[in-house]
Amino acid sequence: MTVKPGDPVSPLTPASDASKSHTTRTRVPPPETPEAVQTRFRVIAAFWAVIIFLGFPIWWQTTSIYRAHLPIQEMVDWADGKTCRPVYPLEIHVAAPLLQSPESQHLLRTTQHTLDDLNEFAAHHLRLKLTNDTSDSAARVVEDSTSTLRNTAGETPDVVLTVRVLPEEGLATPRSELLAHTTQLDVFYPPSQIPSPSTSNPPLSVFIAQELQRLYGEEKATIAHILSGESAGLDSTSPQLTESISRRLRRSMKYAETYHLSFSLFTPGSVPSSWDIEAAVQEYLSPLLDAFEPISNFTIDTQVQLYATFSPMTPAPIYDETEAAWTLKKEDLSAFINAAEWPLNPSIGNGPTLNFILYVPDPSQSPMVVKENRASSWIVPQWGGVFLLNPPLEKDQSNPAHLSQDSLQSAFMTFSHQLLTLLGTPSTPASLPLRLQTLIRVRAATLLLSASSTMGSLARLTESLPSIPIPANVASSVSTTLSHLSATCSHLRDGRFNAALASARVAENEAERSFFEKTMVGQVYFPDEHKVAVYLPLLGPIGVPLIVGLMKEVKRLLAEWKAKRAAA
Amino acid sequence: MAVDRRTVGVFGAAFVLRLLLICLFPSLPDLLTGRVEVSTPVNSFKRLQEGLYLYTRNVSPYDGGVFHQAPLLLPLFSLLPGVQSNPIPTAILYFLVDLVNARALVTISESGQSVQSQLHSAVRKHIRWDGVSVAAWFLFNPFTIATCLARSTSVFTTTGILFAVSNAVTGNSVNAMLALGFASYLSLYPALLFVPLVLLCFDQRLQSANKPPNGIIYGLQHAGILLASIAGLLGLSVLITGNFWEFMSATYGFHLLVPDLTPNVGLWWYFFIEMFDSFREFFLGVFWLHLASYVGGLTMRLRRQPLFVVASLLGVFAIFKPYPSISDASLYFATLPLYRHLFPLMRYTFFAISAILYSSLLGPAFYHLWIYAGSGNANFFYAITLVWSLGLSILLADSIFAAIRDEWEQDHPDAQGTEVKQV
Repeated sequence: MTVKPGDPVSPLTPASDASKSHTTRTRVPPPETPEAVQTRFRVIAAFWAVIIFLGFPIWWQTTSIYRAHLPIQEMVDWADGKTCRPVYPLEIHVAAPLLQSPESQHLLRTTQHTLDDLNEFAAHHLRLKLTNDTSDSAARVVEDSTSTLRNTAGETPDVVLTVRVLPEEGLATPRSELLAHTTQLDVFYPPSQIPSPSTSNPPLSVFIAQELQRLYGEEKATIAHILSGESAGLDSTSPQLTESISRRLRRSMKYAETYHLSFSLFTPGSVPSSWDIEAAVQEYLSPLLDAFEPISNFTIDTQVQLYATFSPMTPAPIYDETEAAWTLKKEDLSAFINAAEWPLNPSIGNGPTLNFILYVPDPSQSPMVVKENRASSWIVPQWGGVFLLNPPLEKDQSNPAHLSQDSLQSAFMTFSHQLLTLLGTPSTPASLPLRLQTLIRVRAATLLLSASSTMGSLARLTESLPSIPIPANVASSVSTTLSHLSATCSHLRDGRFNAALASARVAENEAERSFFEKTMVGQVYFPDEHKVAVYLPLLGPIGVPLIVGLMKEVKRLLAEWKAKRAAA
Repeated sequence: MAVDRRTVGVFGAAFVLRLLLICLFPSLPDLLTGRVEVSTPVNSFKRLQEGLYLYTRNVSPYDGGVFHQAPLLLPLFSLLPGVQSNPIPTAILYFLVDLVNARALVTISESGQSVQSQLHSAVRKHIRWDGVSVAAWFLFNPFTIATCLARSTSVFTTTGILFAVSNAVTGNSVNAMLALGFASYLSLYPALLFVPLVLLCFDQRLQSANKPPNGIIYGLQHAGILLASIAGLLGLSVLITGNFWEFMSATYGFHLLVPDLTPNVGLWWYFFIEMFDSFREFFLGVFWLHLASYVGGLTMRLRRQPLFVVASLLGVFAIFKPYPSISDASLYFATLPLYRHLFPLMRYTFFAISAILYSSLLGPAFYHLWIYAGSGNANFFYAITLVWSLGLSILLADSIFAAIRDEWEQDHPDAQGTEVKQV
């Protein structure tokens, strides 16, 4: 386009009318009239008026970045662990109904003393407290061991364990008994060993202290492992324990608010085509899931897949004469699941999915076991578990068409165990409520750390990218996170672990939400240099004639002004 | 009267041609209605049908997020019989609207404003077409016929604009403002024509009246009339839809914010598909300001020929508005024959016309390759829309050059016919 509306009328140079005049003289273009000059000035002014009075406000309005205020220093402090050192004061009640008050006081004092001597990890310590309403508290604990887990409110610390000290005739040394479904440890002692207030280190105290130390050894090592990062745990932790802890952490799923459990029945034939899954889940799994309620929520789906064949890559099971069974080699188990053809969704809904597969082999290959140890189940780390169910065959050598609730019992017991492992529940002590409590404390620690480090990352991100917008909801998420983090910390300090976990869950959720805010994520990958590429291609071509026009006009005005001054 | 017979002949032939087309090819209107070159989200007849369906069932026509046209069209079209069962009455309405537009063009042409106005008198004013020829150029333009058959609602905007101009050149400034209000109500962008139109009316007034009115007061008066007419139409719309903000955001909000990036012959859709989200609003502002900034500059530069400013702005709109279609181009092409006397001064007509023909033939082909055959991609169609816009821009720039040259020759009668050199 050679002519723009703002351009002056092209002055003419007459073509040499060579044919007529035979001369090549050049005529000077007629001078511009003042009127034309003024018109040009007006045209340029009109364009620039639009730019200045409308363009710049729009530019300012639409490209200014809203950055809500974030408490950067506080966030960094959390990430560096300066704000909160998580401590775990575990309150343990000691009940000695048959001891005199001074004796029991003494026993308590000496046991506590011994415990403190044994303990080398200050953040995690056991605090003994004497109670007398033993029968009452013990009964309460026995009655609803799970409901104490849910007791998140309240100002008093959670009672993690009740130790009952009871005399028993005919014992040479003290012995202890942990009740599997309660948070109660019974310690029996020979009546002869009643600690007298004079002895400084009675054997009973030492025994109780060692028992407690043993009960919480793994938890202590785990928490130390988490708090100190991957590097070092406690000095005293045996290499086996360290190994088992890191193995458990490797196997278990990342923490999630909600897990999705998917139970699938696979069989290569047409039967069994139905199973009493609802009753089985209700009967064998629900109590466990209820007990997990303070930690995570669960959703469940089930499916039955018939004619589910192995993938061609899987080595076929081999018949073992001595075992009288079809065997799978241990190293082939990783190829057992036909991921290409079996419809196992990687994730349904929000949370991660845990898959539990019940495989009923074909009658011609039944029974099927793992070769090395005749096991019928195995766990797939961070994914789920498999159980090989070999139901008794019908008369016509076929699988039963229906799997009753009873026949599923062994499978679901295994699944429950696998679920506990996959969720990172420690293997000791033997009591399930204690293991779940341990899990609560471990999870509270991990969530506290992960939310804190997310805060630190967010702070660093917003610091390093000054052009990133910070929406108001991110700021509110951050303040929610910080307040819940400090709530978590104080709950931990006071020994209220359920409340601590509840706060930590909120903190983690909010932290993730603020970090993965949609409008910010897009900007992270948008460096400032790209703005040149955004502005120039269009505004450059538009701007050049406008700016050149403006410069010419300014030059002319300056020249005029100078001429006027010279004349005056 | 010979002239009348010619007029009747041209108008009748245009009517019969359209009627023949829909009788011989009954599927043609629906085919054209679906073409992106003809139907945009703001003028599509299909979307109008959707709005009409909702409207006749007492649902807000904007509920589905499909209909974005002015609400006053709804009662008008609800009077017509259903298009599926009986398409002829609707088609006849559109034919008549075309004829009415042509009639307005005849009025504009016969006023002679394009060659001889208050402040300007063209040098070559003997080279010109009469009103019927200008109308014939409009009526037999394939773009006009396609728009008419596709029943695009742009034709009503065209009517508004042409009536505003024809009333302005005959001195009915109030009617001109009312017509412009109607056009602005329908499509928003014609409001930008206000300044040159008022100047046109003002020049007319100077010619006729002995006592020249105050320019500023005159302008304010007409702005008031325009605003009042728009406000009246908006008031009627509220009576129809009931919800003021809903229809404002569905119609004018849609024009301004360009949320629907369906391909069309314009330059916006591709740009905003590619644009980073955070810069979207800024560039919306840039594009709209770019469109609006021509008004001031052109009006200043061509102060002596406000009618030509209107025509050139129509060309600018056809290129740079957010949802252009060939109906906008057809309106621009309709005003060009008024300036037959400028044609000898234009230098790139061959190139411009080639580019326009090339793109109007290849455009549908490339669109087919992209959407249906799958052997092309969006860039094919976008490249063609660039060529289309380039052709229009060259034509526009060339005509403006010719108009300026004409003005210059008027000022320097001794230099007529000399060659120009750009410095």
